Amino acid sequence: MSATAAPMPKLRLSGVLKYFTQPRTGQRTLAVSDVNLDIRPGEFICVVGPSGCGKSTVMNMIAGLETPSEGTIEMDGKPVRGPGADRGVMFQDYALFPWQSVQDNVGFGLRHGTPGQGMTPEQREARVREHVRLVGLEGSENKYPHQLSGGMRQRVALARLLANGPDVLLMDEPLGALDAQTRLILQVELLRIWSATGTGAQHKTAVFITHDIEEAVFLADRVVVMSRHPGRVRAVLDIDLPRPRDDAIRADPRFGHLAEEIWGLIRDEAREAIA
Amino acid sequence: MTTAVSTSPVRWGDALRAVALPLALIVVWQLWAATLPADDRAPSPARAVAAFVQLTGTGELPIATAQSLLRVLTGFAIALVIGVVLGLLMGSSRAVRDNVEPIVESFRPIAPMALLPVAILWFGTGTPAALSIVAYAAFFPLIVNTVHGVARVDRKLVQAAMTMGVSRPAILGRVVLPAALPSILLGARLAMGVAWTAIIAAELAVGAKSGGGASGGIGQMMFVFYAYSVDLNGIVVCMAVVGIVALLIDRLFRLAEHRLMPWRH
Repeated sequence: MSATAAPMPKLRLSGVLKYFTQPRTGQRTLAVSDVNLDIRPGEFICVVGPSGCGKSTVMNMIAGLETPSEGTIEMDGKPVRGPGADRGVMFQDYALFPWQSVQDNVGFGLRHGTPGQGMTPEQREARVREHVRLVGLEGSENKYPHQLSGGMRQRVALARLLANGPDVLLMDEPLGALDAQTRLILQVELLRIWSATGTGAQHKTAVFITHDIEEAVFLADRVVVMSRHPGRVRAVLDIDLPRPRDDAIRADPRFGHLAEEIWGLIRDEAREAIA
Repeated sequence: MTTAVSTSPVRWGDALRAVALPLALIVVWQLWAATLPADDRAPSPARAVAAFVQLTGTGELPIATAQSLLRVLTGFAIALVIGVVLGLLMGSSRAVRDNVEPIVESFRPIAPMALLPVAILWFGTGTPAALSIVAYAAFFPLIVNTVHGVARVDRKLVQAAMTMGVSRPAILGRVVLPAALPSILLGARLAMGVAWTAIIAAELAVGAKSGGGASGGIGQMMFVFYAYSVDLNGIVVCMAVVGIVALLIDRLFRLAEHRLMPWRH
């Protein structure tokens, strides 16, 4: 590839707009207006914004679980049509199958979805074992979700996501239901695991939605700040902090400045949201 | 595995409390019956027990019970397959629901027994008629609870499967069905209860129509005791067996619910 040619963005959102129509009244709400965003391959993007700014809607559209009312979403230059295993999703309430054990959950996509096609049962089992180990859940393979703590359930969801080998990782407030301490620990874990994905220097592309500004600064290469009424991209900040990152980076003065800058953009709207 | 005594289906303290009052009533009944003249036809616990021993000894009672149970299970199985499959389809496809729901809802208020004359006309006075009534009765709790169960499936579970490239039919069988299982099993328990009631009533009526012929089953046996031999103690025995079997079926289903869905208890 020529050094002067810009690599194709992994994800490109062009003029994306989303209306929601009330089924009975026909009333239209503009949830997301005119989002234009290029996400580079291997980037870790965090999306923050006040409640109701449309960040989950944007992610659902990238995931193919919703379709834009206007505009296009492309991955590797091709339009996104519906959900698929190339864009894996991690949900806030984990969405684990309660009737399945940890290892059955992790292997679900391999057994019943597209990722596992052409694999032998032994290969699938090996892949499941590998990912259970990756997230640190060896010994818990036969436990059920209701027997696990919140942090463990989230790790199962992560293992399931990665076991399916998606190109793009979409995560909708995955740590939102956890207590603050568990969150801090899992943020470090998440970066460790993410940096083990992909090939060579390039990790898998990740889009991570969160309310937590410090979390966003800790994890991201770039932070997309959204506004509400209507939902739109307010600013995109580069997070110029070195990798690999661990807890020490939180004490770096640049960390605090970035967090304060982002909060400055969101604060007034966040106040309105609870007024 | 967590153990919670309060959710176990077998609680001996409660069982004791449950039988205390009935036992007391039976004792009172026996004392009253003992005051009657010896040739009085009124049923008493002592004579009922004697009738029970006699009927069991000849094998009549166990065989009749088994016959009724077999019919119930067969009718239930038919209703299970049709009700759950249709319920799954209705719950997940607007088109199916719009077409099928009006028919189901129109028939639901029609009591199973009301269709008995039609069933006898069609199938004659034998097992098929009784079976059709049982299947009809069991169908409605099954389909209603299946549809309800499907409606309550967490959307996120379906979405998660979609983002794993799972096909729509596989989502229905591997996500929606297991997720709706608690409701379906509840529907199954209710359906079995209704089916058991229906078979007794159907056998009573079929027994009447066939003039006490050998159509078998407890209901028919009860009818013979009622209309032919006027054996009131025999009727008491049949009623007791019907009640006990109903209780056992219910408890068995609750146990199954408990075992099959550990995450719900």
